[in-house]
Amino acid sequence: MAAEPGLQELRELVAEFQPGRGHVLPALHKVQRTYGWVPRAAIEAIARQLNTTPALIYGAVTFYSDFRTHPPAKFEVAWCCGPACRLRGGEAIREAIQEELGIGLDEQTPDHRFGLHVGQCNGTCHEAPQIWVNGRVRGNLTPESARDIIRSLRDGE
Amino acid sequence: MNARLQKLIADAKAAWQAEQSSGRIRVRVTLDTSSIARGAEETLARLQEAAASRKIDADVGITGSWGFCWLEPCVSVRSAAGTHAVLYGNVTPDRVNELVEAIAAGRDLPSLALGVIEGNATAEIPLLEDHPFMKGQVRRLMANLGRIDPENIDHYLAHGGYEGFGKALEMDAEAIVKEVLDSGLGGRGGGGFPTGRKWDFLRNATSSPRYLICNADEGDPGAWVNRILMEGDPHLIIEGMLIAALASHADEGYIYIRYEYPLAFERMKKAVAQAYEKGLLGKDILGTGKNFELIVFLGAGSYVCGEETGLINSIDGYRGMPRIKPPFPAQAGLWNRPTNVNNVESYANAPLILRNGAQWWSSVSDAKEKGTKMFTFSGHVKQAGCIEIPFGPKVRTLLEQYGGGLSGDLPLKGFQPGGPLSGILPASDIDLPLTLDPYRERGMFLGSGGVVFFDQSACILDLCLFFLGFCEDESCGRCTTCHGGTQRAVEILRRIAAGGGRDADLENFENLIGTLVWSNCLHGQFAMTSIKTSLKTFRDEYIEHIVDKVCRAGVCKGLMPGRWARRAAPQPAAAAAS
Repeated sequence: MAAEPGLQELRELVAEFQPGRGHVLPALHKVQRTYGWVPRAAIEAIARQLNTTPALIYGAVTFYSDFRTHPPAKFEVAWCCGPACRLRGGEAIREAIQEELGIGLDEQTPDHRFGLHVGQCNGTCHEAPQIWVNGRVRGNLTPESARDIIRSLRDGE
Repeated sequence: MNARLQKLIADAKAAWQAEQSSGRIRVRVTLDTSSIARGAEETLARLQEAAASRKIDADVGITGSWGFCWLEPCVSVRSAAGTHAVLYGNVTPDRVNELVEAIAAGRDLPSLALGVIEGNATAEIPLLEDHPFMKGQVRRLMANLGRIDPENIDHYLAHGGYEGFGKALEMDAEAIVKEVLDSGLGGRGGGGFPTGRKWDFLRNATSSPRYLICNADEGDPGAWVNRILMEGDPHLIIEGMLIAALASHADEGYIYIRYEYPLAFERMKKAVAQAYEKGLLGKDILGTGKNFELIVFLGAGSYVCGEETGLINSIDGYRGMPRIKPPFPAQAGLWNRPTNVNNVESYANAPLILRNGAQWWSSVSDAKEKGTKMFTFSGHVKQAGCIEIPFGPKVRTLLEQYGGGLSGDLPLKGFQPGGPLSGILPASDIDLPLTLDPYRERGMFLGSGGVVFFDQSACILDLCLFFLGFCEDESCGRCTTCHGGTQRAVEILRRIAAGGGRDADLENFENLIGTLVWSNCLHGQFAMTSIKTSLKTFRDEYIEHIVDKVCRAGVCKGLMPGRWARRAAPQPAAAAAS
């Protein structure tokens, strides 16, 4: 796992953002794009840059489900919870993946290679039920094919 | 028309003509989130490879969605002479070689063909407009989709793009508002409030700067109409916002796109950058002295930011919690300045109204609601896709004609008209028209266009559990009625599903229905709609679950499977609800 970036580095990263311009989310996005997650120090750096309190930035980070406060796993598996996926057997896919990985939603395997979280429908419902592995849709799943995907990722290295 | 705009359009048309008459075969691959999910990137790469290696002498490019989402990747091939063009579907990477061979041999490939899009039908391939999926569709918003490159502003300009804006430049704000009011355009996010009236509120606001926001936080699971538009024709939305800016004297605009749509975000950003380059955005637009800045803003995964004041708070940099109204956004919105929020589709209609006139625009629909509406449909349907039709046809049309019927052999049980807040209707309501009123009369709403159909293998309580669980997750936490109420509803539904239903539960639900309506925003007010509507029409199923401990669909694991269950033997109650 990469070391947590230092405050100075983070300050430089968010130096372009200004107070009162709606820059909280853009700044957080830039941090997450750079490191894959939002480190604690980034909250401080953004708060200082935007002339506001760390509490407000922390409030935003925790309000929005797509900001991570921990480094991502190597394979981030998003399980689509949408209605089309649910109707086409999405719950069984979730159970299969959870069993295969031995983790629940919003958890990571101890080796940080797999993380599992809920994904919100992106409108590729023709591929239901589906998961996204690091953003790529893997669709038309059965519990068996979902397990196969996880296994092949696990053995892939 | 503005001379600079005239020149932009003339140059773009000349460039398009030159491209058309280049004497090369034109291959266009639909590249959007739906097609990428089905391998379109590889399809595109292989076609480009074939062109680079001179296997085919073709110009390979990208385009937006035709709406055939279940048949992606779609590829159109136009003959070198430009007289014959065919749309192919299901050109997955493993089938692309067949298409390359056919192109190289100068013949069509009837096995993958969906229809002829230019020229005459052939003995083997009918016209695309005769395809059952295309019949009855009126493609206005989607007119450019599949035909132009969404990443090229010149393509848009060559197809009537920014002409509506050109006309608006010659009108005063009042006249633009009047034109939009005359058209009868209603908000496409589900509310149906006259768009012209909203613009007029902003026009009459007393302070400045003023802001326009495009709500592209299409959070309803099962709806992807805005995504199709943004990924296929982003300039339509920019032009719509420019027209709205002229009508309401707005200074700055934001397009708020949800985090789940990274491609739409990239395409919108690219389109905005191109519009700046051409002088269509920024300071002194086309030398007219008018200014309008446009910013593409990425959300971060919050459904309630689709509520206009939640969205405003989100841009402001706060948690996306809806505000208490009044004051309304037109009085105090973004940074407490006058603000107007419209849906993607609402803005996208403005260029069509200005270009062709209110009369033309409203003439298409017999219903009270004017104009066309895009719908997507999914669930237990054979074909999950996207269409554009005038308001008014029956829901049945969506299912049977466009959706290709149910995917399984079980009968239809019901459908959800649009989003987790919109409610659940039984199969007997399948002949309701796609207009706003019948749903309002039932205490629900049509929603933003994502219809989900389900057959008898679905359990109503399980669906309600999903919708209420979604509402619980996405509640902003302000109102106890909402965050506490949805939690109670989820708890009760889980308990029932695990076999612990109590006689008082129906009354519990009624209490919650009566309580949540006192929430501040629509999210809380409508969170119980799915239970409220299904309690009326699927009451038997609730009683079976609660009293008889039977789940007829066999979905609830703590209950005995009933007549529609596909599971052979009942599962032990120990494996109950997670």
